[in-house]
Amino acid sequence: MFEILTPMFLSLIVGGTLIGIIFGAIPGMTATMAVAVCLPLTYSLGLENGLALLLGLYVGGISGGLVPAILLGIPGTPSSITTTFDGYPMAKRGEGEKALRIGIVSSFVGGIISLAILWLFAPTLADFAIKFSYVEKFLIIFFALTVMAALSSDMLLGIFSGVLGIFVALIGTYDITKGGNGNMRLVPPGTEYWLDSGFSLLPVLIGLFGLAAILEQAEIGVPKGHSLDEIDVGKKSGFSFSIFKGQSVNLTRSSLIGTFVGILPGVGGSAASIISYTNAKTFSKTPENFGKGEPAGIMASESGNNGLTGGALVPLLSLGIPGDSTTALLIGAFTLQGIQVGPLFIGNNPGTWDAMIIAMLIANIAMLVMMYVAIRYFALVVTIPKHILFPVILMMCVIGAYTINYGIMFDVWTLLIFGLFGWLVVKLKLEVAPFIIGFILGPSAEVYFVKSLESFGDVTIFITKSWIAVVLWLLIIGSVTGSIMLSRRAKQNAATS
Amino acid sequence: MGQLTQVTIDFETSHLLFPTIIACVLGLLGLAIVIRDRAKIATAGTYWSGIWQSMDKPRFLGTIVLTLLYFSLMVPVGDIWPNTGRGFLFCSIPFVFLTGLLFMHERTIKSILPLAVVSLVGPVFVWWLFTYPLFLTLP
Repeated sequence: MFEILTPMFLSLIVGGTLIGIIFGAIPGMTATMAVAVCLPLTYSLGLENGLALLLGLYVGGISGGLVPAILLGIPGTPSSITTTFDGYPMAKRGEGEKALRIGIVSSFVGGIISLAILWLFAPTLADFAIKFSYVEKFLIIFFALTVMAALSSDMLLGIFSGVLGIFVALIGTYDITKGGNGNMRLVPPGTEYWLDSGFSLLPVLIGLFGLAAILEQAEIGVPKGHSLDEIDVGKKSGFSFSIFKGQSVNLTRSSLIGTFVGILPGVGGSAASIISYTNAKTFSKTPENFGKGEPAGIMASESGNNGLTGGALVPLLSLGIPGDSTTALLIGAFTLQGIQVGPLFIGNNPGTWDAMIIAMLIANIAMLVMMYVAIRYFALVVTIPKHILFPVILMMCVIGAYTINYGIMFDVWTLLIFGLFGWLVVKLKLEVAPFIIGFILGPSAEVYFVKSLESFGDVTIFITKSWIAVVLWLLIIGSVTGSIMLSRRAKQNAATS
Repeated sequence: MGQLTQVTIDFETSHLLFPTIIACVLGLLGLAIVIRDRAKIATAGTYWSGIWQSMDKPRFLGTIVLTLLYFSLMVPVGDIWPNTGRGFLFCSIPFVFLTGLLFMHERTIKSILPLAVVSLVGPVFVWWLFTYPLFLTLP
């Protein structure tokens, strides 16, 4: 198990975590973007080393967001939104360094608790999922899509985005290797040469999370970087671990919420931190202090969003369903190495599974040590000029898209098409996460659906196949009705207030 | 009832079954959105003109134009020196520089100089990394 701990493996985790923190700390750049940009580097690294780099980027990217959230009141990543509520008031009081250290330690706690759950839960779920036939596999995907849509800000638009993702994924040939007939569909005349295999996953992801993010920044004029004068970490830390006294329930609850939200497909870190923060406020003896510089608020937010990291890997490694956008990109790393994630992954690749757990553990420790010791230097990251970073990132996006299929220029154009599409999606109030999950799961959903009908010849098989199918239908109905009820209640509350 | 739920899949046309179902679901969902949001859709012109007016047009459109030029020129330039990745190299240097210049707010020598260095060093380093240690051919 420990033979993978080579100097290369360790340096990639530490390096990945460092780059991830930098990406997370710069507003407008995210952990997803960091993974998208660095993905082509994993080609020559091998699976374990490649995953070490990417998992470091993931943990670092989620954690780095707290730096500008606390020092500037601007979340570095969407998942740090609630960190601004109490972190920024503390920084304004001259307690920036103290707030940062509270956030760093809380991030570590969230990361470790979620990792423990990943380690305990994913193999059990995978063992259970091995028994699934095509019918249950199709229903799992259906359930994932309904959960994702139900938790979207607008359920109808969320479902539409997910179904649109499936539709786009079906463009091209019905793959013979997966039992299809090898015929093309949904391909406009004249584009058969390029769209024979449809759109490749990674150029689509890089376009949606790399180019689209830069286009959004360009649209608002690429805000100037922050100057050194704007950053005040406070003269002295004033931080002591005694501040966590009496906060173990808050930290554990928030970490578990983050982990659970991570397990739900397509639900991002912002939901994890918002739910954790709201719960911390509800159960606090001093809820009136929240939003005015309450350390418990930072603890809830940061342990919640880092709790997402392990949680989002649970459905990916046990069912093959990504828990969030960043883990969707990790599918790309597996694809590059010719490995399919799903229920058989952990059993067939115990070495890779161990490497992932160790990499996550070391990445969390590296994040804690680096950020805790050098927080004053990380604070300076927010001053890096975007006019230098963004063009370099665009260039890296091109490399990522081009090299993914060993040099196909159409993949670079795919990057542009989906970069523009990603920008447009936001304007149309559609949701990117359901689209991506739909795009990733669409081809599998088709195979499971068609093969189920081919084998059994009766649509009732989706209900009568097994007790698992019945349970899944109950969960699907529950998620949809629950969402409708919540939506109605929210509307009623809005109307009353 | 039993016969109503039975289906026979013709293998030759099986590639159309799922896309047709998904297209129908998409159409129904689209219709539901149009009916629900008809008031918003009716005023969509105002929404889009608001986006257009508040947009930093030179930077947004400039990024798209530069990206289009970058992608379009990479292969023809690369064809001059086949399989060397120089199309990527010689197109990336001006692309990074011009995009950086476009995104820059105060264009002084002091701020242009670091950009010029990064535009030169960045693509050269990436080209070297992918061409030699990683053995991946760029355009």
